[in-house]
Amino acid sequence: MNSVFVLILGFIVAFIGYRVYAKYIDSKVMKADPKKATPAVMYMDGVEFMPTSKNILFGYQFKSIAGAAPIIGPIIAIQWGWLPALIWILAGALFIGWVQDYSSAMIAMRGDGASMGGLSHKLISPKARIILLSFIYFYLLLIAGAFGNVVVSTAISLKASPMAWLLLTIAGVLAGQMIYRWKKDIILTTVVTVLIALGGIWLGTIAPSDSIIGQDLANSRPLWAVVAFVFCYFAAVLPIWRFALPINYVASYIVFLGLLFGIVGIFVLHPDFTLPAYTDFTIKIGPLWPIMFVTIACGAISGWHSIVSTSGTARQLENELDARPVGGGVMFVEMMLALFALIIAGTIYAAPAEYAAAIAMGPGAVFAAGVSKFLGALGMPADLGRSYGSVMMIVLAITIMQLVIRFMRISTSELLGDISPIFKNAHVGTIIASILGITIVLTGWWQYLWVLFGGANQLMASLALMLVVAYLMSQGKSYAWAFYPMIFMFITTIAALLYTSYSLLMKVASGAVKGEALIGNTLMGVVGFFLVIAAIILGIEGIKAFNRYKKLRPQTKSSAA
Amino acid sequence: MSEKEKSGFFQAIKEFIYGVAAHDSTRFALKTRASMEHLFILITMGDMLGVPILPPYYSLRLLPYVVPQITTWKRRMLREKDLTDALA
Repeated sequence: MNSVFVLILGFIVAFIGYRVYAKYIDSKVMKADPKKATPAVMYMDGVEFMPTSKNILFGYQFKSIAGAAPIIGPIIAIQWGWLPALIWILAGALFIGWVQDYSSAMIAMRGDGASMGGLSHKLISPKARIILLSFIYFYLLLIAGAFGNVVVSTAISLKASPMAWLLLTIAGVLAGQMIYRWKKDIILTTVVTVLIALGGIWLGTIAPSDSIIGQDLANSRPLWAVVAFVFCYFAAVLPIWRFALPINYVASYIVFLGLLFGIVGIFVLHPDFTLPAYTDFTIKIGPLWPIMFVTIACGAISGWHSIVSTSGTARQLENELDARPVGGGVMFVEMMLALFALIIAGTIYAAPAEYAAAIAMGPGAVFAAGVSKFLGALGMPADLGRSYGSVMMIVLAITIMQLVIRFMRISTSELLGDISPIFKNAHVGTIIASILGITIVLTGWWQYLWVLFGGANQLMASLALMLVVAYLMSQGKSYAWAFYPMIFMFITTIAALLYTSYSLLMKVASGAVKGEALIGNTLMGVVGFFLVIAAIILGIEGIKAFNRYKKLRPQTKSSAA
Repeated sequence: MSEKEKSGFFQAIKEFIYGVAAHDSTRFALKTRASMEHLFILITMGDMLGVPILPPYYSLRLLPYVVPQITTWKRRMLREKDLTDALA
């Protein structure tokens, strides 16, 4: 199949999903009312609750949800063949993905701007909120571990990336200094710092890491894991304007330009898929169902999106009608990003063996090779393109990682602060999160780690859908459109987490793994089981809430069509 | 495409890029400033929320400057907060 056909198919699905399905749900079921005052308008405090244009929120939502996951998932999942991956991306986004993103923003808006914790307390039960919070902590730990692994493997497999990453960091810190301290013009700041970051990408090609620090250190996983988490440590403890935000600001231009020209490159080259459409039902990381459905997370559906929709976007929407373009529309853009990644993985290698050799070095190597090929179609030299792709991958992963570590620090303070005041210390919380993250990165096999992250992420999505169903039931609205996706996601992700955790712990019990892998397998297996137990308790709480709403509003039964 | 449509289109692109690149920075800058200001108001005007602070001379001197912010300050201080609020 030709890659352009896949992109066109994506546009058709996005058109139908957005213009037909989402429009119907928005106008007939949720009954979005432009005259209804949103929390942003009602509780405007000029900070968190602030009416904002839908175009700005579209960009904000896209930037917040488009991390490394929509790219890495399809690159790994193509091991089952590109056809199952393509079907899941399209069907997942069409029937489940936008439903979750849009409806979680809507229920947060209708719930006075409450975030996930507040919504679960109100719609399910107080117990559900506590379990959800502990679930979220371990979910974030898996994000930190999975993305940390991507950063480490990219830094090792693409030796140009560390220099590019370093220069990007310097450019970001300089941007913060220029904007907030020297009060320089934003356009001047942007031009100077983006040029420095682009210079770093070029410098990486002539000063690769092994020529500076030697082969041993350049290939050291512990070194790059520590570097990644030290980076996140600074992001978590320094004032946010000093480090995290300006780096993200400069990085957003690098990523945006890379994606834009990469997609143009696909149209110029319009290559055919060279990898097989279907390989086998069961591969090394597991069977197609349920594992592939969690391997591709963000491009089809992702729990992370509901967190962004509820905690950030819902408090800024100035009109209920804006929830569809911002919540639903951005999900379809994310779907296109996943298709872009699928095309990269499926078209750049002449044979499956070449792909297998590349994926063994990590998904960053595959992505960078693809970016290099498609930017090459527009005239960029191959090594420069690879350097560009590698820094894109690192940036996409580490921007989410730093946010996650920062939140884990806050969670440690909130959840354990009453036990001992030491947990309230910002450095202690950050160090705990970093040590846990480094341990997972260094001891776990990255493909299992990715599956566990995907499982937790998709489970988060099904829990968000549970809140949506509870809301719909409480309002006597038709709920089947959210209920069946919730059931599918819940069963699939529980099965995936159980399968992976069982596989990991069986290897420990049978003595098949030793040393570092023993620690990694045990830790990941236990975390996986913990997530399953937490999800089952939440599921039981959810069923109780559904029954409660059914008794309160018997008419909902007849409207579940 | 008419002139109006053209300017609307470019405005939308401009807003989108701002949303991707800078909206978060703006929000955090506002949050930081608001936290500092709200703490200051709490120290000087806490009795408005029922926090038992002796009404000092300085509170009255500051009151005219604080008046425009009192409504939003009360909203933020009295709103029920949750850990997951900090996620985005």
